Amino acid sequence: MSVDEAYREFVELLGEENVSREPAVLDCYAWQPTFNDDPDRWVKRPVAVVLPSSTEEVQEVVRICNRHGLRFKSFSTGWGAWNGPTFDNVVQVDLRRMDRIVEIDAKNMYAVIEPYVNGAQLQAEAMKVGLNTHIIGAGPNCSPLASATSGWGVGHDSIYMSYSARNLLGVEWVLPDGELLRLGTLGSSGEWFNGDGPGPSLRGIMRGSCGALAGLGIFTRCALKLYNWPGPPEMEIDGIMLDAKMEVPENIGYYMCFFPDRSSFSDAMYKLGEAEIAYNALATSFGGYLDILTPRLFRKLEHTGALRSLITETFKFTLAVLLAGNSARELAYQEKVLHAIVREHGGLAMDVTKMEDFFSMLFMSFVRATIPALVFRMGGSFSTALDRNDSLDTQVTWREVIRKIKEGYIAKGQILDDLADNPYFVPYENNTWCHCEVVYQYDPRNPEHREALEPIFLDVTIAAIERCMEPLFTSDPRVRKLISPLAGNFGRYQQAISRGLDPNQAADNTLYSVEADFDFSGIDPERVKRLQGVVEQRRWQ
Amino acid sequence: MALQDYLRDMEGCSRCSSCKWVPFNQVKSWRFAKNCPSITRHNLHAYSGSGKMIMGLSMATGRSQLNETVAEIIYRCQLCGACDTACKVYRDDIDLMDVLLALRAYCVEQGELIPEHMMTIDALKREDNVFGEPKARRGDWAEGLDVKDVGKEKARVLFHAGCRYSYDGDLRETVRGAVRLLRSSGVDLGIAGANEACCGGRAYELGYQGESENFADDMVSRVRASGAEVLVTACSDCYAAFNYLYPRMGKELGVELYHITQYLEKLAGEGRLRLRERVPKLVTWHDPCHLGRKSEPFTGEWKGDKLLRPMSMKRTGKKGIYDAPRNVLRSIPGLELVEMERIKGYAWCCGAGGGVLEAFPEFAAWTAAERIEEALATGAEALVTSCPWCLRMFRDAVAEGGACLEVYDLTELALISAGERALAGGAAR
Repeated sequence: MSVDEAYREFVELLGEENVSREPAVLDCYAWQPTFNDDPDRWVKRPVAVVLPSSTEEVQEVVRICNRHGLRFKSFSTGWGAWNGPTFDNVVQVDLRRMDRIVEIDAKNMYAVIEPYVNGAQLQAEAMKVGLNTHIIGAGPNCSPLASATSGWGVGHDSIYMSYSARNLLGVEWVLPDGELLRLGTLGSSGEWFNGDGPGPSLRGIMRGSCGALAGLGIFTRCALKLYNWPGPPEMEIDGIMLDAKMEVPENIGYYMCFFPDRSSFSDAMYKLGEAEIAYNALATSFGGYLDILTPRLFRKLEHTGALRSLITETFKFTLAVLLAGNSARELAYQEKVLHAIVREHGGLAMDVTKMEDFFSMLFMSFVRATIPALVFRMGGSFSTALDRNDSLDTQVTWREVIRKIKEGYIAKGQILDDLADNPYFVPYENNTWCHCEVVYQYDPRNPEHREALEPIFLDVTIAAIERCMEPLFTSDPRVRKLISPLAGNFGRYQQAISRGLDPNQAADNTLYSVEADFDFSGIDPERVKRLQGVVEQRRWQ
Repeated sequence: MALQDYLRDMEGCSRCSSCKWVPFNQVKSWRFAKNCPSITRHNLHAYSGSGKMIMGLSMATGRSQLNETVAEIIYRCQLCGACDTACKVYRDDIDLMDVLLALRAYCVEQGELIPEHMMTIDALKREDNVFGEPKARRGDWAEGLDVKDVGKEKARVLFHAGCRYSYDGDLRETVRGAVRLLRSSGVDLGIAGANEACCGGRAYELGYQGESENFADDMVSRVRASGAEVLVTACSDCYAAFNYLYPRMGKELGVELYHITQYLEKLAGEGRLRLRERVPKLVTWHDPCHLGRKSEPFTGEWKGDKLLRPMSMKRTGKKGIYDAPRNVLRSIPGLELVEMERIKGYAWCCGAGGGVLEAFPEFAAWTAAERIEEALATGAEALVTSCPWCLRMFRDAVAEGGACLEVYDLTELALISAGERALAGGAAR
């Protein structure tokens, strides 16, 4: 391994200003506190950071790493611990300079983008031609390319636009040895419009269930399917978030629907999916809204059982639905259908469109997914207990399971009290699938909160495995080692793919194919026994 | 406060990168979605608001050391505050701007100094202005105006020109025009002339906070001694220092404070300033950082957990001066105002601030050129602002880049509309 020699080559390739080995600069890539259950919050410091500006430069960076025995880890917008290095010899490839929208093909409804285009930018440009892009729940600061090619990807608009991987068309992929691979029609005709052929279709290998998280190379361009946008080409909004003011577009309707119980909620959701009328749909608790709008209020809710009960029980099954018609007549039809479904299931539909301030605040919060990051307000950080995509009823159960787990930690003061029931619940694909992550908030500066992150993670993982559900972070080598034997030994296949595509093991592949053991020291032995028992019981023979 | 005092703020950074973008509700295009000149120009995360906080955390916890490279990154930033506004959309517990200022104070304390800034501080100490021009000539701009000298006779309103308007010969007509306009509106006006001194705001931003406090003390005593009841300044930087920085330091000027745009709005509202002549122009307004998000009044220092801080004490950029200049422009007959994409609390900086113009002029010019492009994208024929630093940057950028865009101070257009000056097409280019 020769970092010095490699660094000289990086400088020659990219210029002095686009590479760095300065420790303080590198630490900017090692500070990854989000979704990091290590109380330290720093990840490995990279040995260098490089900023390529083209696919050719990315290829050469990868080749230099291969030549000098270094690993590489790329990221687009870089939010979340999975973006950071996991080995001691990693070059961080910051794709920030690759920030172009290459093309918006309005007729064929797709866009070709580079890694550092974010959701807000792509949406703003797409809307100008009457189209829209899927934006993940994490928010418009994130790269649509990253979620489509490399990780997860649901959002409030999933009921209309599904999740990121479904929208992926042609892909340009720099493999871990520097070779360039073009997937789908891009590989045969140079056209971006299809991800599956007549050129090679390796989408399953490239993306799989939750993405390789940069463990299989670097994606430099991709085409994403765009969807109809019946709203205005440009939003006229005064204000930046909670203070937003705007006029309600005439063909937009926004409803808060309340259901009396679990079954009416679930059944109505299935019907809503069948009816194909919604543009956005998000189920959360009423407390979830209060939590982000008035975070300080929650500090004062201790010993106010009646109020807590009112908030948590009265509005427990709440579903926000955005309707967008191509005409006033179509909107009227959608509203009629929505009302019928809600009524049929004993619910109430409140027309939020008439509540000017609330609508103004919520509109872009939904259409552009600007609202989720407000969960920072309560404690400064958050994490989520997520089961991966599953059936709707399973996810309703999951919500309950995690609420109970959270209540224990809230009682001990190890996470903040948000009334425990705080799901981010979005349906998609005719609502046969759902995504439910239950948010928990904490103050990352509070050592007790930090120390609780790992036990919560373990509890959530156990809960998922016990219910034959896929935990969120199967990318975590410890989780992978646990659940791979329960699911066809998928880890072995991933390791084989990694070895095949990456003979020098140059990609930082910890989150794709490495396996590791949990450190159970300090964890309640009963809990460990329970976990080991369920793993043994469910192991594939 | 010292860097260590901001550990909780720095540790709070989640690295979401919101600090790099216009608040997402307001992203209107791919081209003008970014808000921070520093990261947009230099790309390494260290140049962003988040990156600077993480570098601060790294140094404060002993993981890395301050050196010349790191200091340069810290100072390649206009302190425009756009990152702070964007961060606070989501965060109640981080004061990013305060961290950036603490980092500069840390550089000074550790002796990692920028030579050009040392020259500025030296100039301030010698001549009471940031240029090192003779202090005796500070009042030359008002020659022949026959305006009261508040050192010799009382005036109800003290007009404070600021360093750049006092010494930049190209801009002198702006403040001379402002004085004419105020006096013709019946304002009992005086100036301090050669006895006016720098507000000290620039020294504060460069990290020399002790020097800044000295200037604040001096300014307070001079203003109080003048007996004026009202202070009007044409300089946005000075306005932000008087309205925010001084109260934060515990200094009170003891006068009613106005920026010239606010005072013109007030005079027009009272019918004392009549904007009657047509100015048939399509213009766009540039919100100076120091008049906008950085001018918010100081509302007290919150001690303790910022997660529990009342919202009224959180600086969000929302309470800057945004309406006054727009109202004045809209009251000028024939003039049409068209907005750029990045405005008000999320406006793009002119490039001059934070000592960038002095130390890294090519970066300052690049930043101004970006704003000129944004102004041109509106279709406006003129860019209007009300800050001498912005004015200087934009006029130089237009001259350098050859853009077909006139650049005005708001006062100039008010003068034309008030019939005090003829409209000379292109004269302000």
